[in-house]
Amino acid sequence: MTYKLMIAGLCATGLAAGAWAHSGAMGVVMERMDAMKAMGDAVKRIKPMMSGEAVYDAAAVQAAAHVIAEEAGAAMTGKFPEGSGGGVSEALPAVWSDRARFAALARDLEVTARGLEHAAQNGTHGAGHMSGDLSGMMGGTSGMMGGGMMGTDHMSGAMSVEHIGQMPADGAFVMMTQVCSACHDRFREDK
Amino acid sequence: MRHSVVLALAVAGALAVAGGALALWPIGTPVSVAALEGDAQRGAYLARAGGCIACHSDPGSGRPALTGGAAIETGFGRFVPPNITPHDTAGIGAWSIEDFARAVRQGIAPDGAPYYPAFPYPFYGDLSDQDIVDMWAAFQTVPPQDMVAQGHEVGFPLNLRFGLKLWRAAYASKSVMQPDPSRDAAWNRGRWLVNGLAHCGACHTDRNLVGGRRPDRFLMGSDDLPEGGKAPAITPDALRRAGWNETALAFALKSGVKPDGDTFGGGMGEVVQHGTAWLTAEDQTAIAVYLLDRDGADE
Repeated sequence: MTYKLMIAGLCATGLAAGAWAHSGAMGVVMERMDAMKAMGDAVKRIKPMMSGEAVYDAAAVQAAAHVIAEEAGAAMTGKFPEGSGGGVSEALPAVWSDRARFAALARDLEVTARGLEHAAQNGTHGAGHMSGDLSGMMGGTSGMMGGGMMGTDHMSGAMSVEHIGQMPADGAFVMMTQVCSACHDRFREDK
Repeated sequence: MRHSVVLALAVAGALAVAGGALALWPIGTPVSVAALEGDAQRGAYLARAGGCIACHSDPGSGRPALTGGAAIETGFGRFVPPNITPHDTAGIGAWSIEDFARAVRQGIAPDGAPYYPAFPYPFYGDLSDQDIVDMWAAFQTVPPQDMVAQGHEVGFPLNLRFGLKLWRAAYASKSVMQPDPSRDAAWNRGRWLVNGLAHCGACHTDRNLVGGRRPDRFLMGSDDLPEGGKAPAITPDALRRAGWNETALAFALKSGVKPDGDTFGGGMGEVVQHGTAWLTAEDQTAIAVYLLDRDGADE
């Protein structure tokens, strides 16, 4: 009997270890990896519509943007508590040492994703050219040589959900994915 | 004992003479571009594509654009991209257009000192006189800013800039690219951008111990970028294996989105946001066309 229990116990331990080894992460680290995966999948679903490789579907764009908006902002920063770095986590120490910037980018992601939710109904601009959209918006001759958006890698509230909601969907999408990249640049270890 | 002292003195003397000769060795060729009319709009486009704005600005600092970039920590020292607004003392306001042309295309400061190759001038040698004049016109539209960027921190002997003349001779001599008539305009434009202005190889080609790019590793990726960074291989094979096609790659240069839905990191996000995203769709496509369809080492 004891023998059987021991074997059962060993099997259970083995299964648990297997599950752990499979994802390579546990607890909050696994939660945030899942969240990142969900956002990546959402981006992947609608990207071909933005690049002209697939037929545009406003409802699909709105749904994907919603997934990302729900994982952004406080929902994201909350998944990076103090002391949860290291091990299998790809989060760089800067997540905690440069918290203000990390939080600002998480907020920008929420603003741009909410903006895309609204912009979904606008359809794409075709060429969807980012510089055209932005220079029109920021104005001024200094924008030509790096004024306007150039002063910072996060928007610091310069753009609102309402503004972005009036953009062509591909313009809003690119704004959003550039926020993803700006954050990955600084806060994710590149394998 | 006595002999070794004499020998040491002799070696030191020879080195001093060689160093002196190196210090006096004239580099660069004269330029004259002033006769051309500059187009600031076109120049700003080139300045954006070439990374002038991205590297010489520090978005995190709150300072205005082009007043100096974030420091680059390398195995050779700490390099700080300087203020290049047209301020007379803090920036490049006192330069002549010829000074500018020599600095950008030949990597030589107005005082004759060679620049450290943290400034990717070896890629800018293909810029035409018109390109230079247009960029110069664009820089004149920038408000002058009186902010002096920190100096570089480079140890001995690399702090002796005349030694860089040897580096220039070994790694910065590059003949101007001639279009390949067997390829179409997009391919040739992509090649000009990738190997020139957009300087993809600055990160995607591995470097040797003295920081020279290895021709045998052309665009095959590097895992020893400053501050532990890595850049993947962007050879046609590697790109196709990673799921890229022309449309996806061109769109990634605007959006940063990879084939699997992930987005760029490791510094490429910044390259896109402040560089390639501002290119025309035609230029983004040209880069993709060339990268996905070129043969062998081509630089």
